Formats: sequence, C-alpha cells, structure tokens
Amino acid sequence: MWREIKQPAMSQAQARFLKELRLRRWAVRVTQWVFLVGFLLLWEMAANREWIDPFLCSQPTEIWRTAVEMAQNGMLWAHIGTTLWETAAGFLLGTVLGVMVAVLLWWNSFVSEVAEPYLVVLNAVPKTALAPIIIVWLGNNQTSVIAVALLTSVVVTIMTVLNGFLQTEEEKIKLIRVFGGTKWQIFQKVVFPANIPCMMNALKINVGLSFVGVIVGEFLVAQKGLGFLIIYGSQVFKLSWVLMSVVILSVLAAILYKAIACLEKFVLRKRQ
Amino acid sequence: MLPMVSFQDVSLSYHSLGGETRAVSHLSFTVAEGEFVSIVGPSGCGKSTILSMLAGLFPPSAGSVRVNGTIGYMLQKDHLLEWRTIRSNIFLGLEIQGKATKENKSFAEELLKKYGLWEFRDHFPAQLSGGMRQRAALIRTLVLSPDLLLLDEPFSALDYQTRLSVADEIGTIIRQEGKTAILVSHDISEAISLSDRVIVLSGRPARLKKIHTIELSVEERTPMKAREAPEFREYFNQIWKELDVHVA
Ligand SMILES: Nc1ncnc2c1ncn2[C@@H]1O[C@H](COP(=O)(O)OP(=O)(O)OP(=O)(O)O)[C@@H](O)[C@H]1O
Ligand SMILES: [Mg+2]
Repeated sequence: MWREIKQPAMSQAQARFLKELRLRRWAVRVTQWVFLVGFLLLWEMAANREWIDPFLCSQPTEIWRTAVEMAQNGMLWAHIGTTLWETAAGFLLGTVLGVMVAVLLWWNSFVSEVAEPYLVVLNAVPKTALAPIIIVWLGNNQTSVIAVALLTSVVVTIMTVLNGFLQTEEEKIKLIRVFGGTKWQIFQKVVFPANIPCMMNALKINVGLSFVGVIVGEFLVAQKGLGFLIIYGSQVFKLSWVLMSVVILSVLAAILYKAIACLEKFVLRKRQ
Repeated sequence: MLPMVSFQDVSLSYHSLGGETRAVSHLSFTVAEGEFVSIVGPSGCGKSTILSMLAGLFPPSAGSVRVNGTIGYMLQKDHLLEWRTIRSNIFLGLEIQGKATKENKSFAEELLKKYGLWEFRDHFPAQLSGGMRQRAALIRTLVLSPDLLLLDEPFSALDYQTRLSVADEIGTIIRQEGKTAILVSHDISEAISLSDRVIVLSGRPARLKKIHTIELSVEERTPMKAREAPEFREYFNQIWKELDVHVA
C-alpha cells in the first residue's frame, strides 16, 4: 500500500495498457498449461479405455510410477548424472577446442585458406555417422561418448568463431596498430573481447549439439545414461522407460540452455 | 630547424586483384613544430592514405616520408572499445606500449578531469554522447603525449551542431597542449578555422594543388572567433573554387 502512494501518478491510458498487457500474458500462460494438462489427461484416458494400446504407448501415470521407482532405488540419478557429465564435458571441450583452432587459423591466414574446403566438408558430414568409428578407435566406454559429443560441436564452433574473428572491425584493429601493437595485442585487446558474444552464442548452440552426440554415443556404447535407458527400454518393450527418458532429456536440455543464457547475460551485462 | 614532418616526392599505389590504384602522386610538403595544418581534397583522393603513411602503417611506393617525433592518430570514428569503461579505454595506448605506470595513469586521469569527463570515467562508451566520446578518443591519444597528432575527419560522425562545438573544443585543446597537428577534413570552414595552413589536394591520385597560409585578423585565435574574421570568406571561396574544378 505504501509503495503505491510513492509511485508517480500514471495516466489512465497507460494503466489500461499495462492491465491489458498483463491480462494477455496471463491468458497465454493459462492456455499453455491447459494444453499440457489436457494432453496428459487425454493420453491417460485413452490408455485406460484402451483407445490406444498402453503396451505400445505407455501412459502418464505409468511413466510417473516408473520415475518414482527408479528415483528411489537411485538408478535414475546415476543415469542422469552420466548423461549430464558427458554432455557438459562434450560441449565445453568442443567449444574450447573449437575456439583454440579458430585462434590458430586466424593467426595464420595461409593455414586457414588451406583448411577452408576441408572445414566446409567436415561441417557438412553428419558427425553422428562417425560415432561407430570413434568407438572402434577409443573403445566401448565413456571416453567415446564424450568424443562423439565433442565432434558434433567442434567443427561448427571453429567455423563460426573464425568467421567472427575475421569480421572484427578493421578500424579497431588499425587503432591498435597505430599504437604500435603486436598481432598478439590485436588479438588480446580487440579481436577476442569483441567476439565474446559470438563465443557465448557458440556455447549455446553447442549444448544442443552435444546432447545429440551424447545420446547417439550412449545408444552405441550402451552401458549407462539416458541414451542407454532409451535403447534398452525399447529392446525390452518398456515404453515407460523410453518416454520417461525423453521427457527428462527435454527438461535437462532446457535447463542447460537456460543456464548458459544466464551466464551469457552475466558476462555481457555491461555491454549495450 | 628540422621540420616535424617532411613529405618528399611521395607516391603510393595500392595493389589488388582488380588492378593498381594510384592514390598519391609526387606529393611534397612539410609541417613545422607547433603548426596546425589541414588537408582538404575531394572525396577518395588519398587523404587517409597520406595519414596512414605518416603513422607508419605502410611505406610509400616512392619518395620519402619523415616524421620527427612520436605520433598520435585519431580515426574517423571514436572506436572506443564498448566493453571497456572510459577510464580503461584511455589506458589502452599505455597498456599496448607497456607504459601503464602509476604516473602515466594519473596523467591520463588528470586529462579526464581537465576535459570534463571525470564523472564519466566508469561509464561505458554507449552511455556517452557523440561529442563526449570524441573527446574521450582525443584524450586516449593525448595520454601518450605524442609530438604529432593525426586527425582523420574526427568530427564527421557528429551532427552539425555538435560538430561545430566539438571542433572548437578539440581545436582549443590541441592548441592548449601545444601539439603539432595534421587534420584531414571534408569541411572547408572547419579546416580554415582550425589551421595555420591548409593544403589543398587534387582528385585521385592526390597531388599538391595549393597551400594556403591562414592569417586572420582576430585577437584570440579560437576556432569560433576565426569564423568571424573578415578574411574567412575569402579563403573559403578560394579553396571552394580549387576543389570544385574537378566536379565540373
Ligand atoms: N587498401 C586499399 N586497397 C586498394 N585501394 C585502396 C585501399 N585503400 C584505399 N584505396 C583507394 O585509394 C584511394 C584513396 O583512398 P583514401 O582512403 O586515402 O581516400 P580519402 O581521401 O581518405 O577518401 P575519403 O574522403 O572518402 O575519406 C581510394 O580511391 C580508395 O578506393
Ligand atoms: Mg579517408
């Protein structure tokens, strides 16, 4: 109540505008929830009345029961932990390695010109197609999964970050040269800081790519993780395992993406 | 006494796939210590090229360029680094040249105070007006105490009103600091009002057309006062005609 008195007077039109805006936002939220809940209810009902085959399609309560059960015996956390760890390792390594290669290519324009067609081709190859080779080379283990995840993101990182480096404003580079700066100083004072937004963006994209790599890797290595749960569940016709894993994966991907977006906001908080 | 700058029979060509571009041709002039000289010429005639050679970014294709002292270069846009505060921006030159000592930094801070940016030291460039940014860019160059200032159309990004006052401000600062300066400009009145001499160039490739020594009967030689001098119009018309020939 007290705060309202302190606030500056607001015109009626503005108040009406704000009210309408709030109302609309609220309506959007409610509709979103209605759809989700409606979908789940319909699914549950369809399975109970055997409009659909619950053996093939499972049902929300069954999925929930499975999740609670696995959470209680600790299995679920082990699988989630494995997948998360592999994904994080994959996209962090992919981004760091990608940026490092981009720096080398920026440094030496001859090398980057030589590398260009290879990068274009490598970028076009569906990286998951290389997963079986990786497993042959590195063995049937977690290292292979991380390597596949890394592979999915590293090439695209090299290309976008290098592109960002090369598009740094010429005049800003001239500024450093006029001060007598070295190439390293050009990189350190202008090219790198100017491209932090670009690298944050790469990080965001790489989260999604890394998940794809990890899941495919886990399909093949088949020891642990949500990807393993999906493939195993489908083999033994436990559709509730499969669907539960998919739902958890979506939530994890959303959380990781959000976390990176927050990190980005924090890093770039001072820029306009 | 040695001149601060000497250009002797300088030519420069750019080479690219499309062919050779002659930007400067047999150009000679000198600038004495403490002088403020402007270079005017048609668009694309090679003015920035001349400053780049002075700054040592590349050597001339022929002839000799000599500069007797250290150089500060102010580019067309302020190019303040948007991720650094104003204070950190003006330290840039010191950092690059490994001179970021306490004394030099406090000298830089003195300049900020002297030229009215002290309150904005912790602001980011985007929070400053165009004129303030330009002043910050000038301070960034002055921090290294250069003997010679090169100014490449430093006001062209500003609107007319701001431009007049910023040109006045910066011209006054440069005189106050007793610097030698070479200003490239599109704007004839700006060139006359700020300079001791105006060098008029031909269209590309830049050749020397005329050098005007500006003598104005005003008590105090500030850029604003200079515009009110009776001789101002005369210089203006003359230079205008010299530049205009190529348009016809
Ligand atoms: N790196 C380069 N390679 C090839 N040609 C160039 C290069 N830089 C400039 N030129 C050409 O040389 C000529 C002179 O360029 P310069 O930038 O010195 O002109 P300017 O007088 O400063 O022009 P403006 O008035 O537009 O600033 C122009 O025709 C330009 O196209
Ligand atoms: Mg120019």
